[in-house]
This record gives sequence, structure tokens and C-alpha cells, in this order.
Amino acid sequence: MFLIFALITLFGALALNFQRNLVVAGLCLVLTFLGVSGLFLLLGNPVAAALQVIVYSGAIVVLVLFVIMLLNAHEEERPAFAHPIQRWGSILVALVLAAGAIRVALASKFLATASSPALAGPMNLERVGIELFNNHLVAFEAVGLLLLAAMVGAVALVKRDL
Amino acid sequence: MNSLAQLLQGSLQGYILVALLLFVIGLATVLTRRSVLVQFMGVELMLNAANVALLAFARHWGGDVQATVFYLFIIAVAACEAAVGLALVVGLFRHRQTTDSDRADALKL
Amino acid sequence: MQKIAWLIPILPLAGSAFHGLLGRRAGKAAVTAVALGTVFASLALSAALFLAAKAAPEHRLDYAYFNWMAVGGLQVPFGLVFDPLSSIMALVVSGIGALIHLYSVGYMWEEEGYARYFCYLNLFVFFMLTLVLGSSLPLLFVGWEGVGLCSYLLIGYYFETEIASAAGLKAFLFNRVGDLGMTMGMLALFALFGTLTVSEILLKAGTLAPEACWGVLTFATLMMFVGATGKSAQIPLYLWLPDAMAGPTPVSALIHAATMVTSGIYLICRLAPLYVLTPTTLTVVAWTGGLTALFAATIGLFQRDIKKVLAYSTVSQLGYMFLGLGAAGFAAGFFHVFTHAWFKALLFLGAGSVIHGLHHQQDLFKMGGLKAKMPITFWTMAIATLCIMGFPGTSGFFSKDEILYLAFLKSPYLWAIGVLGAACTAFYMWRLMGLAFWGEPRDHHAYDHAHESPWTMTLPLALLAVGALLAGLLGLPKIWGGSFAIEGWLEPALTYGRPELIETAEHGSHALAWGLMAVSTVVALGSGLAGFLIYRKGTAPEEAFAGRHPVLYRVLSNKYYVDEGVEAGILGPARWLGNFAWKFFDVIIIDGIGVNLPGALTRIAGDFTARIQTGRVRNYALGMALGTVLLLWIFLK
Repeated sequence: MFLIFALITLFGALALNFQRNLVVAGLCLVLTFLGVSGLFLLLGNPVAAALQVIVYSGAIVVLVLFVIMLLNAHEEERPAFAHPIQRWGSILVALVLAAGAIRVALASKFLATASSPALAGPMNLERVGIELFNNHLVAFEAVGLLLLAAMVGAVALVKRDL
Repeated sequence: MNSLAQLLQGSLQGYILVALLLFVIGLATVLTRRSVLVQFMGVELMLNAANVALLAFARHWGGDVQATVFYLFIIAVAACEAAVGLALVVGLFRHRQTTDSDRADALKL
Repeated sequence: MQKIAWLIPILPLAGSAFHGLLGRRAGKAAVTAVALGTVFASLALSAALFLAAKAAPEHRLDYAYFNWMAVGGLQVPFGLVFDPLSSIMALVVSGIGALIHLYSVGYMWEEEGYARYFCYLNLFVFFMLTLVLGSSLPLLFVGWEGVGLCSYLLIGYYFETEIASAAGLKAFLFNRVGDLGMTMGMLALFALFGTLTVSEILLKAGTLAPEACWGVLTFATLMMFVGATGKSAQIPLYLWLPDAMAGPTPVSALIHAATMVTSGIYLICRLAPLYVLTPTTLTVVAWTGGLTALFAATIGLFQRDIKKVLAYSTVSQLGYMFLGLGAAGFAAGFFHVFTHAWFKALLFLGAGSVIHGLHHQQDLFKMGGLKAKMPITFWTMAIATLCIMGFPGTSGFFSKDEILYLAFLKSPYLWAIGVLGAACTAFYMWRLMGLAFWGEPRDHHAYDHAHESPWTMTLPLALLAVGALLAGLLGLPKIWGGSFAIEGWLEPALTYGRPELIETAEHGSHALAWGLMAVSTVVALGSGLAGFLIYRKGTAPEEAFAGRHPVLYRVLSNKYYVDEGVEAGILGPARWLGNFAWKFFDVIIIDGIGVNLPGALTRIAGDFTARIQTGRVRNYALGMALGTVLLLWIFLK
């Protein structure tokens, strides 16, 4: 199961990378998010999985697609001239980092011998809510304010006449 | 080092590996593509990779609940960032009639 | 006495400062008064100190005023010394200087830069007196350089003309070449003796064994002679003196006849004991002097400018003086300096009177018949001509004969050269007199306006004529019944520190002296008569000669083309080298590689590295990513 969701995730990400059409790229993003959501489920965290689907693929991706449609930017534009340095540099960085990441992840004894403490069963919203409102109330309020600010900011940024 | 079987079963190493690879792909997307919207999608990928890593560690080492709360906040922040960022994209389009990030180079020498 | 001795050079200096700073505003009368006043006062004080020195023990007064330089092992006091040599020279300088100042009043009265002239002239007297009276070589050198400077200033007095400025510069540069020799000589002497005070050097020289310091001492004396060559216009540094005639005539009389050019001889006389120790140098001196005497005399034969004739005559006579010095006749050489000062100054002033009377006409071929119009000038110049050719009984006769006698004792060839030179001298001098004062006037316009000069000019002429005739008495040789008094007078100075040099024995014989005298007198009289007879009718004989021997005539009248040779051989390559150094080293290497290349490289490097700033976020993100990779690499290795 893990393998399936991992592959879905990575496949979606790669598809996103190589996709020309922006709308399809958005859909690939949704695919990736679904994969991640599945991984969360496998980690015993249905709350996180649900939140992932609702917020990320339900709201954020929708927003992105709205903007794509609004700006009529379905295709990526042709470049004015080729940027070999950027392209090859990026590829180099990506490959090096990927190789490094694989090596690190696989060779790390630390990760291998991590112990799994006794699990208290899958996560449920009740436990999250208790934790949130008991210990992180201020942060909760602050995040509300942050959302407000972001909303106001977004509206202000796109207004034609202030 | 876990065996391949353990890896495929869903050990911590596996999740971290997935998270890292997802992050690298997101970075590659940001670096390689020119459209700001695709770059934004890449940024979201990176964010999600971090989320995966967070929840994986929490699950295997304890602190599950706090991790979920933290994950909630991360999502909230990511939503704000998405809103504001896309507003900026619209502004860029209004100014330059393009969503090509290479065309926004007014600060070059 | 000590308290007023320093006024001798300082009074003219004060006068010069007055003329320089306030002269224009003070007006001609004030300038004249100050100029004449300071120089005559200097003369009076020189006379007083001359008598005081005569009465002093060892005939020597040594005054040190303060310690001028104390550097390491070198102590140089600022002092004046009045020994027989310097006190007589000081009298000559201030005396003839005073007369020429008086003459200049009349000559320069209509000039625009009247005050400037006297500023420079007084300054010159100051420097010359410093040179003469200085007790140490650096002080002498101050005077040495100073007279060179004043010579430059005065030659270039008419600085608006190209000729005068160029001539001034030429004089100064040739002097500088000589000064290099002088400096090296001073350094060598310091290395040898550890001091630069003349009296101390001579005392120390007395204690040296001749073999011990032959090399360095010869070098030092030779270098000093090189300096003297520059100042006193001997081969090869004589080229500036004929050009120096571009200055006003009184300047030519004072500086380039009587005083500055004799400072070379004076220097050698001051250091006479050293030269006695180095016979090699003396030989060099003698031969240089002799050759110069003949060489310059031949050039003077066909010059058309009256001042140029006298200039080459000066070079030639200076050659005689050096000939005398080189033949170990220091007193004889100095005696010729003394007599030459009188009659050469007289000749120049007379020429100046002629030029002034003809309104600045200097070409002999345009003169003629002035005998009737300018009698005083004529008679005084005639007296001077008799002196310079060595007419029996005149001062020039005694001094030149003494030199020729000693030259014969050194080498008969030197004597022969001297006699030939004397023949040429007599010839060209009477040529000058004949062309100027006899015959039909060739330029009627100038002749009609010619007049005798004012008393300020003719009085010095008369006084100098008297002096020229009587000066011979000082050096009346033994064979004539005198005692060659000047030698006895100068002996304490010339042999300071080495009393064993005082000669008691006679050299040669009386018969030899009479014989030589007779030969040279006959030769001189003969050629003088020839010159007079040929030229008193006009310029026709010379033009005929030029027609028959064009090459010889052209070579001689163009001064053997030496100037052109120097221009082509030395100056041309020097200029080429300078140009090349500029084009190659300065422009290409220093400007191009040293200055422009780093600039260009920096600009190229900057242009290249500026390409990193593209303004694109993608590129910056790549940079960050690469940096991160690098850091991870370093930290996780």
C-alpha cells in the first residue's frame, strides 16, 4: 500500500514537472495531493488526510485553476532564447540532491533504528481539538488573524483603484 | 538500514525518502519552469514534502497530536500564502501582460 | 674686521633684493644709486680687507661665522678667507664690477627692464664674491652655481627673442655638465680628506705621501678640472660662450671676460698644492688649454660679428691661462687672469660703445671709418688691442710671455701651439680694428648717426685703459729688472700647507727667456701688422680670400661646424631617445600595460561577472540551490 501511494505521489510530481499544459499540470497537482493524503492515511492520521484533500486539493488547487483560467495562461510561453545554464544547472542540482537524499535516507542508521512507540490508535479529530484548544489557543487566534490579513491583502493587491 | 521489504512496508526510512524525493522534484519544477503558476505548484509540492516528513516523524517517534495541530497551522499558512501569491500573479499579469517569470527582470544590471 | 667682512658679498645681495622687489616702483634714479652704491661700497671694503690681509700674519685672514652644515663626518663652516689670492681676486671682481656697473648705467638707460638688469648684475657680484672668498668648497660651489644662474639670467635678458633664451639655456646646460665634474671632484676630495674646507684640505695634503693617493687625487683634480672646463669654456665645453654674446654687452664684459669665466682658473689656483701632487692632471690641463687657445683663435679669424670675435678671443685667452697653470705656473696663469680682466673688459666695453653708437649694429662688414667719430673709444680699444697681442711693454706682453716661457719648459710643442695662437690673436684683433675704425664706412646710414658715448661709458673705458697698461708692473719678470712680484705675493696662498713648494731656484736660463720672447714678439708684431694692412681698406681682401679658398673659409667662419656636430651627434640621438622612450616606455608600457591594462581587465571581469545579476528569480533560486548543495557537500562529507 505504501508503495502504491508513494508511487502515485512521485508520479504526480514528475508529471507536473514535465507537463506543458497548465490545467493538466493543476490536475497532476491534485493527483499528488491525493497520493500524499493516502500516505497520511497509512500513517494513521485520517484527520490530516481529510484536511489535505479539503484544503489543498479542494481550495488551493481550485484557486490556482481559477487564476489560470482568468489569465488565460493555458500554455507556457515560448522562451525568448534558450537558457542552457539554468536548465542544466537545475538538472544537475536536482540529480545531485536526489542522489544525496537517497543515499542519506537509506544509509542513516538513525532513521533505521528509530523506535516506534506504542501507538495510541489512529488520530481522531477529538484529540486534535482538545490539543488545539487547550495548549495552542493563542496560535489558533493568530492564525485566524493571519487568514484575515491574507484575505485583505489579496483583495488589496488586485484592486484597480485603491 | 532497513531491508527492501521493510522499506516497502512503510518504515520511517521509506516515508522520509518519499518526502525528500518529493521535495527535490518540487525544487526542480521551480527551477526549470518559467511560468509563475507552475512555479507556485512546485512550491506547494515542497511544502507537502515537508508535511509528509513532519507527520512521518511524529508517527514514529511520538508527538502525534501536536504534529497534527502543527500540520493544521501549516495548511492555514499555506492557504494564506496561496491567496496572496496568486494575487501577486494577477498583478504581474496586469503589469506585464505575461506570466513568464523571466519577463519580470527589471532589477537586472 | 671680522664684523664687516661679511658685508662684502652681502651688500650687493641686498642691492639685488632691492632691485628685484622694489626696483620698478622706485624708479631709475634710485636703482642706479643703490646699484652703484652697493658695488662701490663692496669695492671699498675689499680694499680695506686687502690691506688688512696684507698686514696679517702669514698674509691670511680666516673668518668663520657659523656652522653651516654638520652632517655625519662632514663639518662645513660658513666662512670667508682673505689670503693673497682671494683678496686680489675680490678686488678685481668688485673693482671691474664697479666700473662695469657705471658703464651699464649709460648703456642700459633706455631699456625697459632697467631694474631687472641691475638686480641680476648685483646678484652676480654677490655670487662671484662668495665664490672667491668662500673658505670651503661647498660655499665656493654655491657661488659657482650662482654665477651660472646669473649668467643664464643675464644672457637671456632679452628673453623675448628666441636667440637669447636659447643661448641662456645653452650656457646653463653646459655649465651643468661641468658642475657634475665639480661635484664628483668634491666628493672624491671628501672621501680622501674627510673635510671640504680648503685650508684643511691643503694642510692634510701636505702630510700625504704622493704615491699613497695618486689614483683618487688624480681623479679628484681631473674632475675639478672638468668643472673648470665648463665654467671657463675650454674644449669640449666652450660652445656656450660665443652664443652668450646674445646678452647685453656689459654682461659679456663682466661675466664672460673678466670674472665668471676665470673662476675655473681661480679654482685650480686655490687648490694648487693638490695639482702639484698630480702631474698627470697638469699635463691634461696644459694640453687642453693650449689646444683650445689655438682652436678658438683660428675660429676668430673670420667672424663677422664684433662680439663673436671677442668671444672666441676670450676662449683662446682662457686657454692660455690654463696652459700656464698646466705648466705649473700658477702665478703666471693667475697673472694672465689679472691682466686679461683689464684689457678684455676694455675691449668688450669698447665694442659695446661702438654698438651703442651705431644703434645696435654688430656686423663688422657694415662698420668702417669710426676713428674720426668715436675717438675715445678708438684710442682705448687700440690700447687694449696692443695688450692682447702682446706688444712689448704692455701688461698682456708680460703675462703672455711668462706663460709661453713656462710652456716651452714643459714641452716645445706646447710653446709652438701658443705662438701660433698668439699670431692668430694679433691678426684677428687688428682685423677687427681695421674693419671697424679705418677705411670707408660701409653703412652710411648708421655712420651718419654714429656718435661718441656718454661719460658714464667713456670714463670706465679710460680707467680700464690705464689699468691695462699699468697692470703689467705687477708681474715684471726678473729679466726685465723686476721681481715678478705677483708670484711672491701669491706664494703663501699657492703653497698653503706645503712650504717646501716655495721655489728658490731658477729654472731655464735668461738667454732662453730672451730668445723665446724675441721669437714670439716678432711673430705677433708681424701678424698684427699684416692684419692691419690687409683690412684697413675694407672687406675686399677677405672676400677675395673666400673666393679662392671657399672650403677653408666656410669651415672656419662656421666654427668648424662643431655646433652642428653636437646637434647631430649628441642632441639628435638624445632627442630621438627621449621620443622613443616616450612612445614606447611611457605610452605603451606604462600607460598601456601599467595603467590601461588593469583597468580594461577589471572592466572585462566586471562585465563578465555582472551577467550573474539577471533580475530573474529563477536564476537566483538556482544560485541558492547550488550553494546549498555545496554546503551540504562540505558538511556531510
